[in-house]
Amino acid sequence: MTNPKSPAGQFTLLYFAAASSFTKRTSENFSAPVRAADLFQLLEGKYPGMGDKVLSSCAVTVNLEYIDLDGDDAADGDLMIKAGDEVAIIPPVSSG
Amino acid sequence: MADPSLEAAASQDLTPSSQPMFRSEPSIHVELTHSHLDVLATMARVKSPKAGAVVLFAGTTRDSFQDLEVKHLAYEAYAPLALNTLLNIARSVKITHALTSIAIIHRLGTVPIGEESILIAVAAPHRQAAWRAGEEALEETKKRAEIWKLEQFVGAEGVWRANRDGCMGEKVEDGNLGGR
Repeated sequence: MTNPKSPAGQFTLLYFAAASSFTKRTSENFSAPVRAADLFQLLEGKYPGMGDKVLSSCAVTVNLEYIDLDGDDAADGDLMIKAGDEVAIIPPVSSG
Repeated sequence: MADPSLEAAASQDLTPSSQPMFRSEPSIHVELTHSHLDVLATMARVKSPKAGAVVLFAGTTRDSFQDLEVKHLAYEAYAPLALNTLLNIARSVKITHALTSIAIIHRLGTVPIGEESILIAVAAPHRQAAWRAGEEALEETKKRAEIWKLEQFVGAEGVWRANRDGCMGEKVEDGNLGGR
């Protein structure tokens, strides 16, 4: 699945709830490819403090599928985020 | 101080208006909507002559959280993913409890105090299955659906809630992120 909103060579990152409050954005484009395991580091570089305050409790989806980045031998540690991908930071949910 | 831009952010759902926010298959309906929730229409959706029991849960916005007065709530969703999750929950609960039908509908955007934010309707041949299915559908939705609640307090900043710990989430006032 590709995301029509991404400019050529870029992927789209979506922010929700605490992640959008912290970045003051709801979405942002980044140059692809990026190793999924390096995504949080990339964001901490751009938004200092985001790692501890927000990302540590968040999950990540790529094209509507959750990816596993937990630990050094995480299942999706080597996954590459490609141009056109829709990636999202998923904070702890609170429906109802 | 209340930040209007955050309330606006909480009202958006990142779904193009051309994309309907529901998924339907036989005897299953899940939906996200910015409109008022309609209890009778939702109940009518699951009723059938085969079902002797209909259980309807209505989640209504409360006016306080830990003694703080809540002005209103606002919900945002990652709509395409939340609909996938709600559909999976509905399918699973329907099979587990042998339901004849199930509907899960969640409201987005600003929800004034006292109005419904979620409706879950289940129909089954007998009441025990319907009660249990209704509870399971609600608990799974609260645990998993990619929907977030912003509590806007009277005279204070908004707070994103997290269901999993029952605690206040992150405050959203500038310079006070991560405060409890």
